[in-house]
Amino acid sequence: MRPYTYTAPATLEEAVRALSEAGPGTKVLAGGTTLFDLMKLDIETPPAVVDIRALPELAGIDTAGPRELTFGAGALMADVAADPLLRRDYPALAESLAKAASQQLRNMATVGGNLLQRTRCTYFRGGPPFPCNKRLPGSGCAAIGGLDRGHALLGGGDACVATYPGDWAVALIAFDAVLDVTGPRGTRTLPLAGLHVEPGERPDREHTLAWDEIVTRIRVPVTAAGRGSTYHKVRDRESYAFALASAAVAVTLGEGGAVEECRVAVGGVATRPWRCPSAEEELAGAVLDRRSARRAGAAAFAGARAGTHNAFRIELGIRTVAEALRIAGERALR
Amino acid sequence: MTDTEESGDRTAHPWPPVERTPRVGAREKVTGAARYGADHAPPGLAYAIPVVATAGKGRITGLDTAEAAAVPGVLLILSHLDDLGIAPAGYVMADGYAFQSLQPLLDDRIAYRGQPIALVVADTLVAAVHAAGLVRAAYDEEPFAVELDAAGTETVLQEEALPLPFLADVVVGDADGAYERSPLRVDAVYETGPQHQVPMELIGGVAEWHGDTLVVHEGTQSAGALRGGLARQLGIDPDRVQVITPYVGGGFGQKNSLQPHLAPLAVAARRLGRPVKLVLPRAHTFHAASFRPVSRHRVRLGADRSGRLLAAIHEVDQQASRRDLLPATYTEITSRLYGISSFRGRQRHVRTDVQTPGYMRAPFEHPAAFALESALDELACAAGRDPVELRLSNDAGADPVTGKPFSSRHLAACLRRGAELFGWAERPPDPGSMRETDGTLVGWGVAAGAYPVMTVPVLARLRARADGRVLAEVGGHEMGQGITTALARAVAGDLGIGVDRVDVVVGDTRVVPHHLTAGAWGTNSTLLAVHAALLELRARLGVPREGPVDVAAAVAAAGRSAPEQDGAEVVAEALTKGPGQPPEAVDRMRAGLVAPAGPEYPGHVAFSFIAHFAEVRVAPAAPRVRVSRVVSVADCGRVASPVTAEAQVRGAVVWGIGAALSEHSEVDPRFGGFVNADLADYVIPVNADVGRIEVAFVGEPDFTLNPTGVKTLGEVALVGVAPAIANAVFHATGRRPRSLPIRVEDLL
Repeated sequence: MRPYTYTAPATLEEAVRALSEAGPGTKVLAGGTTLFDLMKLDIETPPAVVDIRALPELAGIDTAGPRELTFGAGALMADVAADPLLRRDYPALAESLAKAASQQLRNMATVGGNLLQRTRCTYFRGGPPFPCNKRLPGSGCAAIGGLDRGHALLGGGDACVATYPGDWAVALIAFDAVLDVTGPRGTRTLPLAGLHVEPGERPDREHTLAWDEIVTRIRVPVTAAGRGSTYHKVRDRESYAFALASAAVAVTLGEGGAVEECRVAVGGVATRPWRCPSAEEELAGAVLDRRSARRAGAAAFAGARAGTHNAFRIELGIRTVAEALRIAGERALR
Repeated sequence: MTDTEESGDRTAHPWPPVERTPRVGAREKVTGAARYGADHAPPGLAYAIPVVATAGKGRITGLDTAEAAAVPGVLLILSHLDDLGIAPAGYVMADGYAFQSLQPLLDDRIAYRGQPIALVVADTLVAAVHAAGLVRAAYDEEPFAVELDAAGTETVLQEEALPLPFLADVVVGDADGAYERSPLRVDAVYETGPQHQVPMELIGGVAEWHGDTLVVHEGTQSAGALRGGLARQLGIDPDRVQVITPYVGGGFGQKNSLQPHLAPLAVAARRLGRPVKLVLPRAHTFHAASFRPVSRHRVRLGADRSGRLLAAIHEVDQQASRRDLLPATYTEITSRLYGISSFRGRQRHVRTDVQTPGYMRAPFEHPAAFALESALDELACAAGRDPVELRLSNDAGADPVTGKPFSSRHLAACLRRGAELFGWAERPPDPGSMRETDGTLVGWGVAAGAYPVMTVPVLARLRARADGRVLAEVGGHEMGQGITTALARAVAGDLGIGVDRVDVVVGDTRVVPHHLTAGAWGTNSTLLAVHAALLELRARLGVPREGPVDVAAAVAAAGRSAPEQDGAEVVAEALTKGPGQPPEAVDRMRAGLVAPAGPEYPGHVAFSFIAHFAEVRVAPAAPRVRVSRVVSVADCGRVASPVTAEAQVRGAVVWGIGAALSEHSEVDPRFGGFVNADLADYVIPVNADVGRIEVAFVGEPDFTLNPTGVKTLGEVALVGVAPAIANAVFHATGRRPRSLPIRVEDLL
């Protein structure tokens, strides 16, 4: 860990100013569960940190509005996971938070910061001697041809196959969430689908935010499909583990169980939160049953590229989507 | 003072019924009042952090510490460029003290990735961590091998490399011939490891000099080894080293010997004239201490058509370091768990470029039982016999290896009682025949386990005080296993006083010498000494050999009749050792060297036994194994402390769940070392992974073994958990796991 300067502004305006003044390389500190972790590993070495935890503009959630749900970026994962309306009307969103990390971490981490959680790739986090294009551009990728059991099947490339580890963003992307972002050039709105980028040739670039921008709010359009939703997560142990495969699924069913609205995203298997339009198309108008659910899962993983040890997660992922559709379908009928 | 072999008093001592005494120290632990080694924070404390090698093997060709040294607050950077003036402590299993023979920081050799190459000491932990990240090393790298089958490993036969009688291959009868003639045969290869102990308490402590005396506060299972080893390393009298370790936050074998960070820490403290603390980061602990090596087992079982065993052949390859050979005793239990008349064992070591692997709870017995008990389940299937019935029909009378009687053997009782508690009679024999409405497959498995009962020399001193309290000073260590509770319970029960009137001091070399506490021998060995000391104390107090004692009155009376005792206390000591142990064993104990007796004693062999029954559920979509319940019944002799004994077994079942389903230290042969070096990626069970655990004891005292009737428990409790789960997985799915852990991809 390297020494760094620390400021804790009182307002969003002050925070934006402090960030600009501190200059490129400065990191925004929210819950700290990723940033401090990586700083202790010498993976993140920011010269300055701007603490936004106490900013009033980032607080609060509203899950009762007629048009959209809003989540202050500074709201705690634990608080949002426990929100009774969210649990009733959008179980996928609540479950994606409740199944992430541990209670202790959820008590610290924020729903805004969680979107930008960095990969758990052991070669990225391990530092030297492991080459890693994300950590040290141009050094290579140790995961390719290495211990890649947990690495991405979708969205990877020759430079990087690091998995995007989050759960919350996977559920949000299924619901077409948008982000409000503030910076020295003003405020803008960004679809969540436009936030994360695939590694391509530049795995060190993970998102489209400028270094001096702050996510202030997450907004989710209201949809009836929320009630028929689930976040299904398969992992090596029952809690406190990243997904081997996960699926956020939401459906509304019409006459005879035919799928009307359908939203599918997968997690733990891709380099970014991964919406699956081909799976949604597969289901549109179809009767939701074991076979159509399985077809949707297969469609979601049609473009999957396996490495050395992770091929089993294609089949696991297909089954995870199918199982999520079964759970969501049961909820949709209630 | 009495100096007796435990056999000195063979009469069954009138131990009163054991009450459910709550764990001594429980409140201190859950409230944070308990002080562990690294909690010690004397004034003027400095902080140390190691720098570790990133090369897999080779030489350090350059070490640049300039930038690190310039960090404000940095006091000292120790490396091989310095002359630390310390000698290696020697390997613990070769008349030394350390977990391996290699002492880092003495030369430019790198034997494995993760080996320490420098130690940075600073005023603050922040400065030490910062500076450690700025030390730059250059290496001349050499090829290395870290896996059993890699090119460049070297395989040696144990009985040739370690020519000691107790390490020779076990050979009874003509196993190969009997196997070939057997109508039913099983021949399979099983593999486990590597794994790490990952106790919650990290490795670390505080070294400080009080004048010419080195005082060490560190969580350890072997305060005597730290004392003796540091004295050897620093070239000072052992009486000038004090080791204080009242609590150990989990040892599991990781802390059973001197760790190589301590001598450099003592050097730093001496040079700075300040106490220095070092707590290793979790990632470092994966390379800084021992681990459970990979072991590969080929097991061949021959039986008649009814499943009666005629022959067993157990061949093991165990991963080793280049320097040291961890004496392997896998076949010690596999040759004895059943009445097999023809047995052949063969144990080999495969030298690789890692730190020296070592002891991790049931170090040989857990992998050996996974192999044998899985093979036995395969045999039960082949013979069409119920797995419990098959085991019962193969029970042993006398020890198949030596022909001696067992001191006690209640394996059959464990199996019968466990089957009853579990409801085993309802089990349909065919795999895949228990299925819930949602398609979840359910399986029931059983496995047995054994562990040698060893006994070590112990000095116990009892001080009966004028206020009626009794202080027990005993050579042992409290690692959470409950030794303090068992000792307090024994003293209180014998004298008929409340447990709250007894104080127990363990883990303090200032009061008594300490043998290593491991191998589950802690409770039986210390109780033996305390038992003898109690008889001596009663004699000195002038009270009968049994019955309640008014301690305050007896101390006052003793003071009147023997004025040379100052009237404040009456002191009694006893030094005990295992039956047949030579006097040199006591000398070794006093020197901090290992000196266990058993499991072969002059008149008998002694083992603890256990049977585990496991229920697993495997969901159809994502076939990850969940353990919904376990029943464990142990034969550990008399139960010395029911509350902590049950906790020991429950903890071991949790260990077994981890070992069976998730724990695995990942190795990348391109880089060496271990890759998943943190508690997020080294997957131990969480509470939600653990179903219902029911624990029962046979409870039959073993007075043939010793006058307290206590055998051992802490290790045997783990033996057989993993195969019980693996056998349940087979019963659920029809797929036979032959390597651990059993993960979702194995059942897809």
